[in-house]
Amino acid sequence: MLTIYHWEPNANSGKPILAAFEKGVEFESRYIDMLAFEQHAPEYLKVNPNGTVPAMVHDGVLVPESTVMMEYIDGAFAGPRLRPEDPFERWRMRWWCRYFDQVVGPSISMFGWSFFVGPAMRERDPEELRARIERIPLKERRIAWSKAIYGTFSPEEMAESGRRIAQGVRHLEAALSERAWVAGATYSLADIAGFNMLAGLPLMNPQVANDTVTPHILEWLRKINERPAIRRSFALGRTELVRRYAHLDRNAAPAAGGQHA
Amino acid sequence: MPRLPQAASMLELYHWEPNGSWLKPLIALHEKGLKFRSHYVQVLSLEQHRPGFLPPSRETQLPLEGEGPILIHDGRQVTESLFIMEYLEDAFAQPSLRPEEPILHARILAWGRFINEVFMPAVSTLGCQAYLAPQLQAQASPAFAQLVAQIPSNYVREAWQSALANFYPQDLIEDSRRKVALGVRRLEDALASAPWLVGAGYTLADIDAFSICHSLPTLTPDLVSESATPQLLQWLARIAERPAVRAALAMSRTGRPEQAFAPGPEHSRWG
Repeated sequence: MLTIYHWEPNANSGKPILAAFEKGVEFESRYIDMLAFEQHAPEYLKVNPNGTVPAMVHDGVLVPESTVMMEYIDGAFAGPRLRPEDPFERWRMRWWCRYFDQVVGPSISMFGWSFFVGPAMRERDPEELRARIERIPLKERRIAWSKAIYGTFSPEEMAESGRRIAQGVRHLEAALSERAWVAGATYSLADIAGFNMLAGLPLMNPQVANDTVTPHILEWLRKINERPAIRRSFALGRTELVRRYAHLDRNAAPAAGGQHA
Repeated sequence: MPRLPQAASMLELYHWEPNGSWLKPLIALHEKGLKFRSHYVQVLSLEQHRPGFLPPSRETQLPLEGEGPILIHDGRQVTESLFIMEYLEDAFAQPSLRPEEPILHARILAWGRFINEVFMPAVSTLGCQAYLAPQLQAQASPAFAQLVAQIPSNYVREAWQSALANFYPQDLIEDSRRKVALGVRRLEDALASAPWLVGAGYTLADIDAFSICHSLPTLTPDLVSESATPQLLQWLARIAERPAVRAALAMSRTGRPEQAFAPGPEHSRWG
């Protein structure tokens, strides 16, 4: 029995969900509402003491970290292979997953938290928020939530995140102009990780990612957006968030030149 | 006797002293009995940033672990010390340093994330302050500073500049000590219930963590000692006895590999 505890099916939560659907693996979906702080509630901490989302449990065993969960899903279950057979392409898959996890992802999420999560949070009772933050088990996550909720990212931090997103986009555009998929000739976990990090970017930073400047990225996002597994993944969302991916629909107006801002 | 498992395969490793990121692939290559050509890089002379050094690939132009080793296999560059070891496992299956069971591989990768994102940056900061900065004060010249100024990766360049200026703010040092203490505690706890970090035997996780911990009895003796971390010290000694590890450490040219530090991975910017 496989259970995935997740929030909206994007970013880190989207990674094991999409990998499982691509693999054709049945799993139990447990929606954790991060905006209601369910990830720090005692019942959830019994599952994942770190209080981070997503979490995955297979036959009673906790599998940590979203990128690691994807490798686990590919290794533990039968189904289409999601890691390249060629050792070099497999290395490249891991390199890009690490680049997304450590450089691009945190920068994008700083924007996301600053523009979406923070403002929504600040409409709530300040005392309740303070108590919620104190309950977060990991110091790093406490600092992250506190910065997001109180909007205390400095202009320098935001500028640096913007620079990293731009670098990541340039780098990925160059890679996708050389090959069909991020790691090489086949669709892999690096594409699953990249889509979940970047799918909203043409909407959030249209000046950085659009049909004119990054045609290969847009085509790659649309190609993944058409996969049946993505439709099943999006169906697990409960908020407006996945509707934001409508810009990837080929029948929708092209996301060129930044008019979508 | 080292052997070439595939006639056409040619392995080359660009590395510095056997410490930290450079130590990991050296141990893995020796453990697997793979013959390789060693290129010793004069990292403190910035040989790796001078014109004429290996032209980087699409991926290797963006270092994710600071200064580190480069494996070349049949002309293709492979970087990131843990992923070099994973690559060697994928390309040369036997003898295996990685269990077949997916959950054990997942645990190796999860240790790897903690080691790379929390532990290595912290150990590297403390090591650079203790050893790199004083060496640079003695040897640096305007030409050297100019070479540093041209390093393309921002965080790598800034870490070299901090060492040149011996600039280590107190909060950075305290945060690094906190992270080293956290890592040491996690390792000591894991080793209290099992002789190895993942599963029943010695794996890539042990090599990954050992390579970062090898310097700690010297660098942070208050955090790693007989009284503070008995299990960790026994584990270090068990690994250091292995012929492959001895062979890797014997590739030191300074005789003090545990004092060899250059900028490592970036500290995570937020949560």
